[in-house]
Amino acid sequence: MSFLERVDQGIRRSVVWRSLFRQPYPNDERSRAYAVMNNVFLHLHPVRVRQHAVKFAYTFCLGGLSFFLFLVLTITGVYLMFFYVPSATMAYTNILDIQTRVTFGLLTRNIHRWGAHLMVFFVFLHMMRVFYHGAYKPPREFNWVVGVVLLFLTIMLSFTGYLLPWDQIAYWAITIGTNMGGYAPLFNTPVNRLLLGGLEVGQNTLLRFYVLHIMFLPLIAAIFLAVHFWRIRKDGGISGPL
Amino acid sequence: MTDQKTPVEQRVVTPVDPSRRTEIDKQRVPMSARPYRLLALVKQDAVVRVQKEPDDTVMTWPHLLSIEFLAAGMMSIFLLLMGLFINAPLEALANGNVTPAVAKAPWYFLGLQELLAYFHPTVAGVMVPTFVLVGAALIPFVDRGNVLSFRPSERKTAVVLFTLFCILGLTLTFVGIFFRGPGYSFVVPYLPFFPNSTNGLHFAL
Repeated sequence: MSFLERVDQGIRRSVVWRSLFRQPYPNDERSRAYAVMNNVFLHLHPVRVRQHAVKFAYTFCLGGLSFFLFLVLTITGVYLMFFYVPSATMAYTNILDIQTRVTFGLLTRNIHRWGAHLMVFFVFLHMMRVFYHGAYKPPREFNWVVGVVLLFLTIMLSFTGYLLPWDQIAYWAITIGTNMGGYAPLFNTPVNRLLLGGLEVGQNTLLRFYVLHIMFLPLIAAIFLAVHFWRIRKDGGISGPL
Repeated sequence: MTDQKTPVEQRVVTPVDPSRRTEIDKQRVPMSARPYRLLALVKQDAVVRVQKEPDDTVMTWPHLLSIEFLAAGMMSIFLLLMGLFINAPLEALANGNVTPAVAKAPWYFLGLQELLAYFHPTVAGVMVPTFVLVGAALIPFVDRGNVLSFRPSERKTAVVLFTLFCILGLTLTFVGIFFRGPGYSFVVPYLPFFPNSTNGLHFAL
């Protein structure tokens, strides 16, 4: 037995390792079942899945990648929050500081931006995939509705984040977007005031969009994501095969 | 001396080769444990055809999770490369007094902004998005024609309508991205022989 193998054995037999992982490396069917069942992150999945569901060309991993992008955006977003103050006088300077002075700030902001666009794109694609497979049909009607809510939340997350850099494109895109709310029949004025926190895009708007972006919408999205994943299994697993 | 077996030996169930075990073998219990007698054996296929579904499942680990991890890894590399080589746009400081020449919404709202060029804001900005979202949520409750048909060829109406809707949205968005310039006027990018051509795209992600 070589030195590395002995170190490897020693680590795997140690009390710490065995307190972390109850099973040895999953090699047979029983331990593979436990590997999925006993892991808090993996137990989202059933122990066995139908064969057509693991083919890449059936799902293209679109839903999974949308969720992965949500996680990436959460992590990069939390990092950016350390260096950003939602103030009309400081926000733009903070972005410049993030880009030039914060360690990996530019990279984090870039990944956050491109990830956000990709997530909206992937949620759209996921919705189209689900439609063409007829996966909204009984018993999965309600999960489709949850998916539509998640699409709306994804777009709103992206839209509220658009204002935060407080540059010209942000200011005017949000001005255009919130003006539309002002044309809603009956409740036009209240909607506009509620979104803007005033008569035009300003400090109140920035704070509102910030709180929506970093706290309110992600929380709601997390709840709906939990329901979405739960319902996949409760509705009999993934749809198909065609 | 015809029966040489002791009573204990009679109760022993002879082990069956595991690969050849039938449904009856699985149910076999020692005679002493049964409060009834075996009257007759009926072959399984003759009376009841047991509906046995073919096992078309595979273990989640490694078959599904390896694909998921691979997809997540590829996405991470793609995002890292994109973040390294393409910078997120940042324009000048927001100024409510200076209207930019081109003010476009984010790309997923450009279809709606394009509609604004043709319809009243109440229609384009409020009613259309509301109908689209509510309509999308109602699809499974409207499409009840044949809830058992999943192939696109078996539900042509739904597929054609949905595809047409997607193409309409894509077309509006593409017009908004490529063919709209200063003051949201109609422009043709990159082609100098058109009277309303512009040098570059008026579009930022």
